[in-house]
Amino acid sequence: MQAIRSRDSIDAGSMKILGISAHYHDSAAALIIDGMPVCAVQEERLSRRKNDAAFPLLAIEWCLQHAGLEPDDLDAVVFYERPMLKFDRILTCALRAFPRSWQTFPEAMKSSLGEKVWVRGTISSYLGVPSRKILFTRHHQSHAAAAFLAAPTDRAAILTTDGVGEWATLTVGHGTRGTNGGTTITLPREVRFPHSLGMLYSAFTAYLGFAINEDEYKVMGLAGYGRPTVVDKVRRLIRQTADGAFALDLDYFEFHSTARRSYSSRFVDLFGLPRLAYEPIDLSSADGQRFADCAASVQCVLEDTLVTLARSLHEETGLSDLCLGGGVALNGLANARILAESGFTRVFVPPAPGDAGCALGAALYADRIHFGSPDRDIPDHPFWGPSVDGMELARIASEDGHAVDRCEDEDVLIGQTADDLAAGRVVGWMDGALELGPRALGHRSILASAAGTEMRDRLNREVKFRDEFRPFAPVVPIEAADRYFEIPAGGARLARFMSAVFRVRPEWRAALGAITHVDGTTRLQALDREMSPRLYALLQAYGQRTGVPVLLNTSFNLSGEPIVNRAVEGYSTFLRCGIDVLVAGQTRVTKKTSEVSRE
Amino acid sequence: MQSTRPLVRPTGFDRMLAPLHRWIWRDHERRVHKLMRFGETETDGGRDILRAAEVTSDPLLRRLYLVHAIDELRHGAMFRQRAASLLQALRSSSKPVFRADWLAPGGHGADDLEVDGESDHSMLAFLHLSEKAAASRFTVYRDVLRDDPPTYAVFDEILHDETFHMNYTLTQLARISPQHHRRHIWRARCGRLWKAYLRVASALAGVIGTLLMTVQYFVLMPPFAWLAKRGARRECQGWTAADPDAGDSLTRQY
Repeated sequence: MQAIRSRDSIDAGSMKILGISAHYHDSAAALIIDGMPVCAVQEERLSRRKNDAAFPLLAIEWCLQHAGLEPDDLDAVVFYERPMLKFDRILTCALRAFPRSWQTFPEAMKSSLGEKVWVRGTISSYLGVPSRKILFTRHHQSHAAAAFLAAPTDRAAILTTDGVGEWATLTVGHGTRGTNGGTTITLPREVRFPHSLGMLYSAFTAYLGFAINEDEYKVMGLAGYGRPTVVDKVRRLIRQTADGAFALDLDYFEFHSTARRSYSSRFVDLFGLPRLAYEPIDLSSADGQRFADCAASVQCVLEDTLVTLARSLHEETGLSDLCLGGGVALNGLANARILAESGFTRVFVPPAPGDAGCALGAALYADRIHFGSPDRDIPDHPFWGPSVDGMELARIASEDGHAVDRCEDEDVLIGQTADDLAAGRVVGWMDGALELGPRALGHRSILASAAGTEMRDRLNREVKFRDEFRPFAPVVPIEAADRYFEIPAGGARLARFMSAVFRVRPEWRAALGAITHVDGTTRLQALDREMSPRLYALLQAYGQRTGVPVLLNTSFNLSGEPIVNRAVEGYSTFLRCGIDVLVAGQTRVTKKTSEVSRE
Repeated sequence: MQSTRPLVRPTGFDRMLAPLHRWIWRDHERRVHKLMRFGETETDGGRDILRAAEVTSDPLLRRLYLVHAIDELRHGAMFRQRAASLLQALRSSSKPVFRADWLAPGGHGADDLEVDGESDHSMLAFLHLSEKAAASRFTVYRDVLRDDPPTYAVFDEILHDETFHMNYTLTQLARISPQHHRRHIWRARCGRLWKAYLRVASALAGVIGTLLMTVQYFVLMPPFAWLAKRGARRECQGWTAADPDAGDSLTRQY
């Protein structure tokens, strides 16, 4: 990661573009200079408020400071969607639902007219940049650009799908990268709100008692415990249209009319009483199994629909590569099926396919397509955020009387950490720059032995404080991945950013019990040495000690909190849960148990 | 039922409102809702105090804030668990209830405090007053819940922690600012009053805004609603061709 730049080091003639996503969920800022990303960070990682949707002032400030820029130096500031077009959709939907929308209309208008539609003014007043420098991409153009322009492919089909942007909920098209400014992204067709795969999945997320726009991955985890017994009922909610797209039966939903509840009473009549948010899921009970079956069924229908769309896109374009964008591209089960069944030989999903990644996508779209800059290969990693400072950890941990080692010898540090992991200790691992996106891909991770279900239960109970049914993911050197996991052709690419779920080889399921889900699958990260050399070395060292270079890798955060950024945040997390060892840079801290006197 | 915990004496105002609180807590559905809200407030407050632990440069304060934050997060979990237990018993009931949130406010989340920008003394003064107010209110809530021993026990345990929080914040404020700690508390008191005024004012503005929008909705919107519905009927499902000019200009907001 580069250190903070000096102003002199930046060529005055280079194009400097700031991308911003905000106001819905997961706001972020990203900066590209001369066509190359320099930094990007989600607001939540700095504000410490999970899924922070506020205008990302902290993220913008950090990006500018990191690059040594003032707002005046920017050539363009690009917002990731068109706010007036979005307002058009909100107003139109409220009018279509008249008079049922009378309660939500005032809230929607106050929210939109209070801040969200005045994005140009907000950016201009916060940053002091003239209005002419402020640009707007379409929401799905941003998703498409984040997926395609950062992927190592010259030509690819593009499929973006999420809850909703302005009007579009799903777009298809293709992109071509040109070295002489001929880069194109064409999205000729779209499915429009309220017909949305993301909203279908979110309705079930709400029905199952989870938080919309946040807990969709829990539905995917729960699906593993169920059987798709109510697929026929789910298919009543969504049908394929004559032209090969899909449409929702809106009688089963309310998200488009009231926004107070995603699903209607008719939905409840069909599937039974919903789960209450505070009620634990007991999979041994009839209700618990019913909820798991619902999750499995909607997951199955989502996968089938996406595979059909992707297959048709493959036939239409004849291309071998597919770039997936939008929040639905976080669904690893669906991604794996698309790779296996759609006909595409390579499928690319960026590390941040959701709205946070749109900050980078919007900036890249403006650079390559609006300004016509020549295409450049983007470094193929997710590490665009602030770097961790091991000295900060050493200072605060020493002040609190914890055992602190400063290991300047990298091999010694790696060896000690591998010993810890082999001994069954849980390690908080902070290395280099923070990831962009929801996955911890080795720079802000909690690492542990992948052997045995006891470790999974211990982590859920003592470290992550979360539901018992939630699975954990493994990380493995890419060269060894095939030995333990059934990875199809092209699967390693999806596994680079933990974007797909693959099967653990049957003979290794017991030995890798901590990361093997109940259905024998796992959301794998296959690690390339160049992407994260220290973690790679740790995996090798751990493999030398245990014979199996596979570690459990889960995000370094506790339930309800954003992934840690600075060493002090990792340290406070370390003190509040069952992590035994904390490593940040060259600093290694082991926990002492002591209590502050309450007297 | 008699608590063995140290007694926190409620303020005269809170004592005066005890009959009102008894009425509010009497309804079981409202009780569940309030416990859930308290759970959220305590958790939010815990995260803010955790943030204070992360940004302070004083090692002792860091340790105390951390203990405090862990307490708050635990309180949040206790409230949620109790609410979940009550909820299971209430599962079939769905009658709407007047929730009276502003009449029985929650704990003491520091959500209106910019933790990153606060000095240690202003943070401690704020926390001291918040904990004191919460302890006073929670004492009343506990006392009106004698007919519900498990919920009573939750408040009783939390009150014990609140007493510790109230005391340590004052002690530490006196340590780091021995000459001016009373002034800091008065400033925090004024700050709380100002924020209370802002909350009331923005709530009032919200009510007025809602009222105006609702009137406009019924007076101005019907013809547009008719047009929108007519447009929706004409809309075909499935694929829609994207506007070919949509991507041409990035200067458009439409």
